[in-house]
Amino acid sequence: MGKPKALVDKGKCLACGGCISVCPQDAIAMCSSKAIVSKENCIDCGICIQTCPVGAIGNEVH
Amino acid sequence: MKYDVVVVGSGPAGSMTARFAAESGANVLIIERRQEVGVPVLCGEGISKGVDEFKVLEGKRWLANNMDGARIISPDGTMVKLAADMAGDETGYVLYRDIFDQELARGAIRAGAELMLNTCAVNILKENGKIKGVKAKQFGEEFDIEADIVVGADGVESKIGRWAGMKTTLKPYDLETCAQYTLSNVEFDRAYCDFYLGKKIAPGGYAWIFPKGKDIANVGVGILASLSEPGMSLKLLDKFINSRPELKKGEPLRFLAGAVPVAEPIESVRDNLLLVGDAARQVDPITGGGLMASIEAGKTAGETIGKAIDEQRFDKEMLLPYEEKLKNTLYKKLKRNYVVKEIILGMEDKTLNMLADSLKDYKFDELSTLSLVKALVLKHPSLLIKLKPLLKLSRL
Repeated sequence: MGKPKALVDKGKCLACGGCISVCPQDAIAMCSSKAIVSKENCIDCGICIQTCPVGAIGNEVH
Repeated sequence: MKYDVVVVGSGPAGSMTARFAAESGANVLIIERRQEVGVPVLCGEGISKGVDEFKVLEGKRWLANNMDGARIISPDGTMVKLAADMAGDETGYVLYRDIFDQELARGAIRAGAELMLNTCAVNILKENGKIKGVKAKQFGEEFDIEADIVVGADGVESKIGRWAGMKTTLKPYDLETCAQYTLSNVEFDRAYCDFYLGKKIAPGGYAWIFPKGKDIANVGVGILASLSEPGMSLKLLDKFINSRPELKKGEPLRFLAGAVPVAEPIESVRDNLLLVGDAARQVDPITGGGLMASIEAGKTAGETIGKAIDEQRFDKEMLLPYEEKLKNTLYKKLKRNYVVKEIILGMEDKTLNMLADSLKDYKFDELSTLSLVKALVLKHPSLLIKLKPLLKLSRL
C-alpha cells in the first residue's frame, strides 16, 4: 500500500490556487473551479494541506 | 486556429498585455477558463490612485470607495496613520474588482483582441522543442491554439511557466494564504484601509478592513503558508471578526479564499513565451498588492510584444527588453521590499509595538530617512539596532 494522498473536499474548495502554486510535484490542477489532486504524482508531502486557507484538503485516509 | 499572440488569463495582467499588444497591431486572443471575466473575485480590492495615470479605465463604475489613507494597527493596538500617497499600492481606491477586470478586458477587446471564455489551457503546444502555442480545452473538447507568442497571465498557479520549464513553484514562505468576507452592516471609519499586525492575529501577514461603502467592507486575513496549519486563515478570520463587536454584527455577502505570491520576481522570458502579473511573481512582497505591478508590467509586455510582431522575431532576445525595462523600474522596488518583508517577518510583536509607538505622531508628509530615524530612535533607542538592516537598505 502506498502513502495516503492529498484529497480535496470539493464542497469547501474556493479555487484560490494556492495549493497548485506550492505543489512541488505539479500534481494539482484546477478543474471546473475545484482543485484536483493527481494520485499518480502526489507524494504526500502535505504542503498543500498546510497551505489551504479554508481547510479543504486532507489525507485520503481521513 | 492561429494568432500572433495567445494570452492565458483575463485578469489585469493578461488584459493589459493583450490591449497594448493589440494596439501595436498584433492579432491577439485571450483565453479565460472561467465563464465570466473577473468572477469569482479573489482579491482584497485595494489599489493605489496611481492607476489613474495609466488611463486604461473608462468611467468610475469600478470604484467602490475613495480612501484618505491607511492605518497600521500594531499588536498592542497602537495606530499609525499614513496618507494615501504614502501608503503603498493597496490604498487609495477600493474597487469592485469584477467590474474593474471587465473594464480592462473591454479595453483589450476595443483595441482588437478576441476573448474566449470557458477555455482552459491544458499544456503548451510544442513542435521540435519550440513553443508554438497552447493546448486548450473547452466544454470537454481539446484543441490547439497556434501562436507566435504565448503569454502566461495565469495568476498564482503559473502553470504556463511551469510547463515551459521555468521554476514557478513557490516555497510556502513565499505565499500568503488568505480568507476574506465582504461584510455588510458593519461599522468603521470609511475613509481608511486598516491593516492589523500581530502573531496572534495573522502570523507572517496581516488582517485587513477595506471599506467598500458606508457599512460594507472587505474583512480578511492573510498568513504566511509556512506558518499556516490546515484552514488556519479562515479560523483566524472568524476569530478576528468575533473579537470586534463592530464587525461581529455584520453579515457576509461574499466569502473567498486567496493565494498571493510574496516572492521575488522570477525569470519571465523564454523564446516565444513571456509571463506577466502574479504568474511572474510581480507582487509587492510587503503588502501582497499586485494590481499596480500587473498593470505596469502588462503594458510593458504588450508594447514589447508589439515590436516583436512588427519585426516577426519571437526569440528570447527580442522579448527580453520587457524584463530589462522592469528590472530598472518595478523590480527595484519589489526586490527591496522583499528584503524589507524578511526583516519585518523577523520582528517580535514587541518590536512592532515600539515602532508603532514611535511613529504614531509622526507627520508622514515630511518623510525623509533622517527625520524618520530620529523619530524612531528618540522614543525607543533600542530600535536602532533592530532597524540597522533597514537603514543599510535605504542607502542602496
